[in-house]
Amino acid sequence: MDIGRHHLALWAIAAAGLFVLPSLVGSGILRTLILANYLAIFAISWDVLSGRTGYISFGQPFLIGIGAYTTAILTKRFDVPMEISIPAAVLVTMVGGLIVLLPALRLRGSYFALVTLALMELCYQLVQVIRPDITGGTRGMSGLPTLTRGASNGYYLSTGLMLTIALTAWMLMRTRLGLALSAIGMDEGAVQGAGLSPTRLKSFAFLASAFIAGLGGAFYTHYLGSIAPRALFDITFLFTILAAALIGGSGTVIGPILGAFFLTFLLEWLRPLLPGAERYFVYGLVALLLYMYQPAGILAIIERVRVRLFGDSRSG
Amino acid sequence: MTIALGISDLGKRFGGLVAIDGLSLAIDDGESVGLIGPNGAGKTTIIGLIMGELRPDSGRIDLFGKDISPLGVAERIRCGISRTWQIPRPFANLSVIENIRIGSMPDSLRGMIFDRSDPIRERELAMSVGLAKNDLERKASDLAMGDLRKLEMARTLAAGARILLLDEVFAGLTVGEIDHIAAVIQNLRSRGITFLIVSHDLPALAPLIDRAVAIDRGRVIAEGPLDDILDHPDVRDSYLGR
Repeated sequence: MDIGRHHLALWAIAAAGLFVLPSLVGSGILRTLILANYLAIFAISWDVLSGRTGYISFGQPFLIGIGAYTTAILTKRFDVPMEISIPAAVLVTMVGGLIVLLPALRLRGSYFALVTLALMELCYQLVQVIRPDITGGTRGMSGLPTLTRGASNGYYLSTGLMLTIALTAWMLMRTRLGLALSAIGMDEGAVQGAGLSPTRLKSFAFLASAFIAGLGGAFYTHYLGSIAPRALFDITFLFTILAAALIGGSGTVIGPILGAFFLTFLLEWLRPLLPGAERYFVYGLVALLLYMYQPAGILAIIERVRVRLFGDSRSG
Repeated sequence: MTIALGISDLGKRFGGLVAIDGLSLAIDDGESVGLIGPNGAGKTTIIGLIMGELRPDSGRIDLFGKDISPLGVAERIRCGISRTWQIPRPFANLSVIENIRIGSMPDSLRGMIFDRSDPIRERELAMSVGLAKNDLERKASDLAMGDLRKLEMARTLAAGARILLLDEVFAGLTVGEIDHIAAVIQNLRSRGITFLIVSHDLPALAPLIDRAVAIDRGRVIAEGPLDDILDHPDVRDSYLGR
């Protein structure tokens, strides 16, 4: 894909728009945007692994939770400054990523997915049983240090973080490495038959995914200032991440971002109409409809509209 | 003449079934050998063992005089040996040229990220197996069987193969496609590529090989020119039953 002059202009306008947004909208919308940014980060983290290599992981909350708990415990119980606790959390999450990798060396498909789901549930139980004086048990922890004050600073931080991660992931996936990771999802044996080591490629995908999950989890915790096991190691959280990536369009970087914003805002707008958990029913409905009519997600719908309006000038 | 591929005393059991039973075989550099035998004789198993997809119970395999037994699949391919499958295994959602690119990648993350791909070489490889210019951007899933077989050969050549193991290379092809593939193989032979070709289509196989090896129940039962072998009583028995 060539980045022409009009592309640069579009990006410049988008960046300026993002920058002035806090002075245009209220703090309620800003808070929704912040949540969407973090969900986008989590969805990208899932997609770097599952959207490419085809190893459908239900372990993303496990990874995000490790990052979140590590930095929460370090700052709250051991008074470690955030400049140290966040990198430490990312490292610990990457170790967690290796734990998720282990079953992937032997299992595929739904078997792999179920093992990763077990990891998440295991963590939920462990947090309550092992040293609740440190983890805060079922109630979690509150009064954690926060990175920013006020909605607009939180917005700038989360947007910057999300865009940095998205851009890095996008550039990486454009290389031959991205191609090889997609090939794993199509036929792992043939990747090996082409002389490439699938284990090395998978290790990279799992570690990269864990890196993003850990980073997102740690920043998210220091945005919320609190942490609770049922908010992290939870099936609803897992499905929100999966739905964001799938509804937006998995196997791309922009798709999970689109999906995350779509879902977060949909949820917010539905709040006055459906105050309870029924809102998740609408989630399921949207996902189902999209899956029946456009399995490749919102991104594919946008692309089709673009082609219809401007003709097929495919550039990438 | 250097021996490109040397197999000595190879053995492989699947539970109680002896699939390969002390099989030895040597293929010279630049030679083309046909591997024939009835269904279940162990032809595909041999290819799996040579590539390291299966672990042998006994014996050793040498590539240009180097013992490759301890190496994994990807490492063996880097040593210059590759295979194709009975049912082609393209990366269905990638284009023809992207499929070839996967074969030509270095097996290191650094190399994949920072080294540039070589579009000229990729195109040459596609042309060398007879793929048409306007097929290069097509999705592999849109190709006909004959083109898929060509694509697989291009991908193995991209990985630097000097020895090609072709498993049932004519299966599922039309008569015209068989001629095309045969021409590609002849062309590669003239460029010094060594072949081990498994096929049931003996008339198509005959002009492509220097000699044939017949196996049954995991053992070599006859070796030599294809015509002589087909007259061999053991070979007749194995195909037709006693």
